[in-house]
Amino acid sequence: MKEGFVLNSSALMLVGAMLFGLGVVGFLTRRNLIIMFLCTEVMFQGVLVNFVAMGQRWGNLQGQAFGLFVLVIAAVEAGLGLAIVVMLYRRRGTLDAEHWRTLRG
Amino acid sequence: MDLNNVETLAILIPLLPLLGAVAVGVIGLRGLRSNSHWLVLIGVGLALACAVRLFMNINLALTKGGSGCIDGLAKSWLIYGWINAGVTWMNVTFRIDSLTCVMLLTVLSVSFLVVAYSVGYMRDHHGHAERGYERFFAFLGIFVFSMCMLVLAGNFLLLYLGWELVGLSSYLLIGFYYEKPSAAAAAKKAFIVNRIGDFGFGLGIFLIYYTFGTLDYKEVFDLVAKMKMAGGAALSPDRVTAIALLLFCGAMGKSAQLPLHVWLPDAMEGPTPVSALIHAATMVTAGVYMVVRCNVIFSASHYAMWIVATIGGITSLFAATIALTQFDMKRILAYSTLSQLGYMFLGAGVGAFDSAIFHLFTHAFFKALLFLGAGSVMHAMAGVIDIRHFSGLARSMKITATTFCIGGLALAGFPLLAGFWSKDEIIHAALSSDMPWLGYMALITAWMTAFYTFRMIFMAFHGQERLPRDVHHAHESGPWMTAPLLILSVGAICAGYVGVTFGGHGFLGVFEPHGEFHHFLSYFTSGHRGTPKHVGAAEAGWLLGGHRLMYVSAAISLWGIGTAWFFYRRRPTIPLAIAFASGGLYRLLYNKYYVDELYDLALVRPLRRIGMVCYNLDRYFINAILWVIAAVPRLIGIILKGWQTGAMQGYALAMVVGLLVMIWWMLVAA
Repeated sequence: MKEGFVLNSSALMLVGAMLFGLGVVGFLTRRNLIIMFLCTEVMFQGVLVNFVAMGQRWGNLQGQAFGLFVLVIAAVEAGLGLAIVVMLYRRRGTLDAEHWRTLRG
Repeated sequence: MDLNNVETLAILIPLLPLLGAVAVGVIGLRGLRSNSHWLVLIGVGLALACAVRLFMNINLALTKGGSGCIDGLAKSWLIYGWINAGVTWMNVTFRIDSLTCVMLLTVLSVSFLVVAYSVGYMRDHHGHAERGYERFFAFLGIFVFSMCMLVLAGNFLLLYLGWELVGLSSYLLIGFYYEKPSAAAAAKKAFIVNRIGDFGFGLGIFLIYYTFGTLDYKEVFDLVAKMKMAGGAALSPDRVTAIALLLFCGAMGKSAQLPLHVWLPDAMEGPTPVSALIHAATMVTAGVYMVVRCNVIFSASHYAMWIVATIGGITSLFAATIALTQFDMKRILAYSTLSQLGYMFLGAGVGAFDSAIFHLFTHAFFKALLFLGAGSVMHAMAGVIDIRHFSGLARSMKITATTFCIGGLALAGFPLLAGFWSKDEIIHAALSSDMPWLGYMALITAWMTAFYTFRMIFMAFHGQERLPRDVHHAHESGPWMTAPLLILSVGAICAGYVGVTFGGHGFLGVFEPHGEFHHFLSYFTSGHRGTPKHVGAAEAGWLLGGHRLMYVSAAISLWGIGTAWFFYRRRPTIPLAIAFASGGLYRLLYNKYYVDELYDLALVRPLRRIGMVCYNLDRYFINAILWVIAAVPRLIGIILKGWQTGAMQGYALAMVVGLLVMIWWMLVAA
């Protein structure tokens, strides 16, 4: 196999940080529950990329192995989260997060 | 299981009624309903059989062993270790001696008959069980269990346990018709008045423990007999007097002696079998039993004996005078119970402990009979018990009238019936003591007893037949009720003969007082008996010799009965005229010397006022403080709750800002 181009771990981490930042901004600005949920997933992936970058930086596979585990968990969590969103939609007939302010003091 | 073994028998005696009661309590309402009586009846019946067996064993052992020493004849043993109080154990110990045997036989035989009677009584005229039928029998079972524990106890703590348990069952049974406000109030009154006595009783037990370092009967009595405290120091007579008087406080409450007698007449609100069993024959005699059980302590204090005898004598006269004017059959009987209990204390107080127990024994039969007879009348009269509202029942209720009359004769001290022998012995003992005036008072009481008993009998059973408005015809009660009446009337006639010897030159040339009963009991009393008080006062000397007192008291009884007959059968206007002429005195007696009103004024109202003060203090002062304390977190909450918007984005933003601050702090500030 040809010696390929190796990404700088700082660049990788930058990508992770950007993904995370995009997720945060999306989560804060959107009201739609599904979009908000997807934004949390984006934040998740940003953290994942960071794991891989760290693994590369320290020269071992722990980061990648951990990333694989997290991916599986994330898949499960996505199913669960979407199910909750569906249930919330059935209760209120809308996806607007503004309608779930029952915890107001 | 060896049924010849005294220890096994003694455990079975309280256990069987308890098992019956628990079983009825658990499955009565669902499964047994109107058959609930069987379990308790069988439990008490088997316990009675055990008690008879126990008595035979003990009697055999006594007559064979025969020494006069209490230690060889009383059996006291450990059931299990109960309370471990560090240096000492409070144990469940039983004690069997001749006194226990007599009490067990009395309690269980009357209980058995009353339980059988209740089967008929606690139903309406169609034979349907009353509401709460199973509850009634469960309570009766608990009562029998508690009374057996009280009697079998081998130390003061267990005695106290049984003492409180019978108080509880009495409370439950007086308040059996708890929907009726008067019954609920009577139950409460009985419990509270008993608590007052029990407070003294409890202090007495504390003082016993403090003085002797033990609560075991045998150890305590041995120490008192030697006038020694724990550790061998000499016991001061004042200490013994204090112990005896505190114990007697409990007896005054439980046995309804002046001034704590007020609960017993009110206790007649309970069902009549309960009045017969608990408030006449057994539970109220617990005080007498306790005084006799502690005869060593009481005999050691001349002052305490004086108090016991005086209270007993005064109560018996006091209650008899009230009974003269009452019209409620059950209340008349209740006051006569007070009066007879007074006799027993009088007997114990002058040192005739065996006579007191003898009277307790005969009284149980004829008073239970009278109460059950009154219950039979009440059942037929649809709950009416006021003797002004009916008369001439003897024609339609032959068995009830006859047995009631037998009971009445026994109570009145009619010669040769049970009450005659025992009452006469007590009067004799009182006359020969150093307080002969109590004996004369007892003779007056005897006349009154004969009079009011037959006043009631003549008014209720003789003359023209007259019935309460809602009753169309009087009818005799069923066999469940009449059979116990018949059996008890045999007891009322014959129970006295166990205390009489035949032959010699006694009463009517045949009867000599002090028989088998006293011989049997002497195994109990002789061991530690104090100096006999039969010193023979000079002024009563003539009465005491040659059985003259027996003739005199027989004549007094006949005189009382005759007066009642003359007043209520021949000249019914005389009693009215006397009541009218004596005006204030009559009203005083009719209103029971206004004791209840006095207590209300002197105790109940001030207490209620203090209660109101405490209530208002609690409501307006303590509650106010609490309100202020509770307001602080509420105020903080009001300030902080603005932060809680409920919007997810807001929380998320706060988290992000917090995260940024942390990053800034880590990168820049640190």
